[in-house]
Amino acid sequence: MKYQIVIAGIGGQGAVFLVKVLSIASAIKNQKCLGTENHGMSQRGGSVSCYVKIGDFYAPAIDEGQADLLIALEGNEALRNIQYLSKEKGVIVMNAPKNFPKVDFETHSIDAFKKAKANEFPIDALNVYMLGVTLALDPHFPFTCKEIEEAIRLMNAKVADKNIVVLHQGIDDAKDNK
Amino acid sequence: MKQILMGNEAIALGLIHAGVDMVSGYPGTPSSEILGNFQKFRDKNKLEAYAQWATNEKVGFEVAYAGAISGKRTCATMKQVGLNVASDPLMSASYIGLKGAMLLISCDDPGFYSSQTEQDSRSFAKFARIPVLDPSTPQEAYDMVKLGVELSHEFESIVMLRPVMRVSHAREICEVDDGLHVKANEGDFERNIPRWGAVPPAGRFRQGLEQIDRLEAIKAWNWDHLIKPKTHALKGENVLCLTSGTGDGYVREALSELDIHADVLKLDMPYPLPKEKLEALFVNYDKVIVFEESFPCIEEQLSSPKLYGKLTKHVHVIDEFSKDKVLSAFANAGVIAPSHAYKSEKYDLELPKRPPNMCPGCPHRDVHYAITKVFKKKKSIYTSDIGCYTLGLNQAAIDTILCMGASISMASGFSISDPDKTVIATIGDSTFMHSGVAPLINAVYQNHKFILVILDNSTTAMTGRQTTPERTNPHQIDIKRIVEGCGVSCHEYVYEQDLNKTVDFMKSLQEMYKTATAPVVAVVREFCVLDKENATGRLGNVVVEVDEDKCVACDSCITNYKCPPMHYNDAGKMEIDPFLCAGCGSCLDVICPTDAFVKKEEK
Repeated sequence: MKYQIVIAGIGGQGAVFLVKVLSIASAIKNQKCLGTENHGMSQRGGSVSCYVKIGDFYAPAIDEGQADLLIALEGNEALRNIQYLSKEKGVIVMNAPKNFPKVDFETHSIDAFKKAKANEFPIDALNVYMLGVTLALDPHFPFTCKEIEEAIRLMNAKVADKNIVVLHQGIDDAKDNK
Repeated sequence: MKQILMGNEAIALGLIHAGVDMVSGYPGTPSSEILGNFQKFRDKNKLEAYAQWATNEKVGFEVAYAGAISGKRTCATMKQVGLNVASDPLMSASYIGLKGAMLLISCDDPGFYSSQTEQDSRSFAKFARIPVLDPSTPQEAYDMVKLGVELSHEFESIVMLRPVMRVSHAREICEVDDGLHVKANEGDFERNIPRWGAVPPAGRFRQGLEQIDRLEAIKAWNWDHLIKPKTHALKGENVLCLTSGTGDGYVREALSELDIHADVLKLDMPYPLPKEKLEALFVNYDKVIVFEESFPCIEEQLSSPKLYGKLTKHVHVIDEFSKDKVLSAFANAGVIAPSHAYKSEKYDLELPKRPPNMCPGCPHRDVHYAITKVFKKKKSIYTSDIGCYTLGLNQAAIDTILCMGASISMASGFSISDPDKTVIATIGDSTFMHSGVAPLINAVYQNHKFILVILDNSTTAMTGRQTTPERTNPHQIDIKRIVEGCGVSCHEYVYEQDLNKTVDFMKSLQEMYKTATAPVVAVVREFCVLDKENATGRLGNVVVEVDEDKCVACDSCITNYKCPPMHYNDAGKMEIDPFLCAGCGSCLDVICPTDAFVKKEEK
C-alpha cells in the first residue's frame, strides 16, 4: 500500500504527536512508515506541517500534488497546504467554521474550536479529537479505530484513557455532523 | 530489534551501539536532539558516558578531539553554521589525525527551515580533507554512525556524518542492534610531541603528506566497500543518476512513479571519491546526472562532458530537493520532455501570515517592546543575535542579525561608524556564553559606547531548552559577575509582567548612557515560558479581552507588541484567541493607546 498524509496546524496544537501516533499505528500494521516534522523556528502560534508516508517510500518529504489526506488542526493551515493534495484522490479533514471558503477537494470540516470553547472537550486534545473525526469521515484512512487506540496506548499509557475518550468524541461528533 | 525512531534518536542510539562514550556539542536545529537523546539512553541504561553541552561548537569539538587522541571513541554534534565556529580546530585536527575514533556530526538545513544560510557540510569535509557519510533516512543514519566510527578508528581520521533536516527530523521504523555492548573505554594519552604538538612548518608538512596518503587509502576503501558492490545492480540504461543523501529518495520515487528508466548509483561517502574509477563507469552511459543537496560536492570532484548537475545549470542550485525538481533536471538534461506530473494548484487568495513568533507570555517580547518604546527608531540601531529573541524582528525591534555573538561586536562597529545614534544590542544567555564574552572584552577595553541587554532565561530555548553553563553549574557561573569581570558594571532587572516596569528600566539605561564612556550593560533575569518548573505563577492567571467600543483598530498592538493570540475579528476589532493566550496579562498596560485591553477575570 501507499498512503501519504500531511498534518497541518500551528505550533502548540500537537501535530508532532499525531506523527508519532500514526508511525506507531503503521508499525502495528506491519507497514513501512517514513515521516518528517518541522522543528526549531515554529514557535507557538506559527505554521507547522508534518508528513507521514505509509508504504514503500524512500524520501521523507511529501511533494506537491501527492498527498491522499490533509488533516488540518486549523482551517487556514488547510488552505495553506492544499497544494500537497492529489487532484484525483485528495481528501481534507479540517477544523474550521461552517462559513469557511470552499475548495475543489472532498472536504470534511468540523468546528472543533467552537466545541472546545463550549467545554465539550479539552483544547489540549484537539489533535486526538481531529484524528477521531478523520477515522469517522475519511473512507480511505488506512487505520482502524482499534489500531489507533493501541498506538495511543503505546505512545503514553498514562494519559491514554483520557485521549481515547476524546478520540471517540471526535468520531461521534463527526458522525452527527454528517 | 525494530524501533520507531526519529533520525536524531537513531543517531544517538547508533553512537551508543558504536561504543562512543564521550559526546560534546552545541545545540542548533536540526542537530539538537542527538546529544539530548544520547543522555536519555545513557541514563535509562545506566551507562558510563560523558555527554554534555559545551559553551560553543569550537569548545565542543576540541573536548571531543582531546578524548579521541587519548584513544577514546568520541563524537561532536552541531549544525552547519556551528561547524563554521568549529572550523578552526577541524582544519588542524584533520592534519594531525587521531588514535581512538571521532565522529563529527554536522546537520545541514537545505531549504533554510531554521538557519541563516544553506551550507553544505560535505563541502567543508572536502575543504578539511576528511571523509563524509551522507545518510538518506534514519535507518541509514543509524548504520552510518557505526560505520563512521569504525572508519575513523581504522584510518585515524575524523569522519563526518552529514544528515540534513529531512533525515534528522524524519521518523522511520528502524532495525537496530538488540543488546548494549557498551563499556566505558579508558583514555590513555601518550605523549608524542612531534604529532600532537607539531609546530609548523616541518612537522605539519609531514602531516600534510600523511593526510594526502590517508585520503588516497579512503578513496580506495570507498570504491571497494561502498561503490563497487552497488555497481552490480546497474541495469545498463542510457542515463546514470549519481545520488547522495536525501537526493537519492527523491530520485528513486520519481523514477518508479513516472516509469522513467535510468540507473541510480548512490554515493554513501560523497567525499573523497575515487574519481578515475567512477568516470570509467560513464563510458556505458549517454548522460550522467548528479542529484545532491545542497552544493555540487560530488559534481566538483568529477569531470566529463556527459556530466549534468548544478555547475552545468541543469539542476537547481538553492533550496531543498523535491521530485518536481528531479523531473525538471531530467527535462533540462534532455532526457524526458518537460512534465507537470507533480504540479498542483495553490490556494491563491491571501491567508493570514504566521511568521515564526515568540511564544505568548514570553518576556523577550516585553524587552523588545520597551527598547523600541524608549529608544526611538530614527535615533537608534538595534543589533541582535541568534536565539528566540531573533523573533523580535516581528516587532521591528531588530536591525541586524549576522551570526552568534555579532550583536556585541557589531554594536561596537556602529558606535564608531554612526555615533549619533544609540546602539542597543540584545543577546541571550546561551549566545553570550557561546561567543559574546570576547566582543564585550573588546568593547570595554576600547571604550565603545552602546547599550547591551543580555536576556537571561537560563536555557537555550530556541532549540528545545538545552542547559546553559550558568544553569546546572554548582560554581555559579554568573553573567553579572562575568560582565563585572570584564570591567563594567552590570545592571540587573528581574522581569515583571507589569510592562511599565520594563519600560522604566530601559529609561534608566538611557539615563546612564548619556554620561557613559564605555558599554552600558544590563541583564534581564527571567525564565522561559516553556520552563514549567521555573516559570510558575507567571502565567495563566489573567484572562484578557478587548473592549470593542474602545478598540479603534489602530494596529499598534499587532505591529509593536505582536502577541500571537491578537487578531482582528469579523467586526474589524481586535480579539484575543483564548486558546493561544498564556494569561500573562502583560498587554494590559502601555501597549494600547485607547486602553482597549481589559482584564476579564482572575482564573
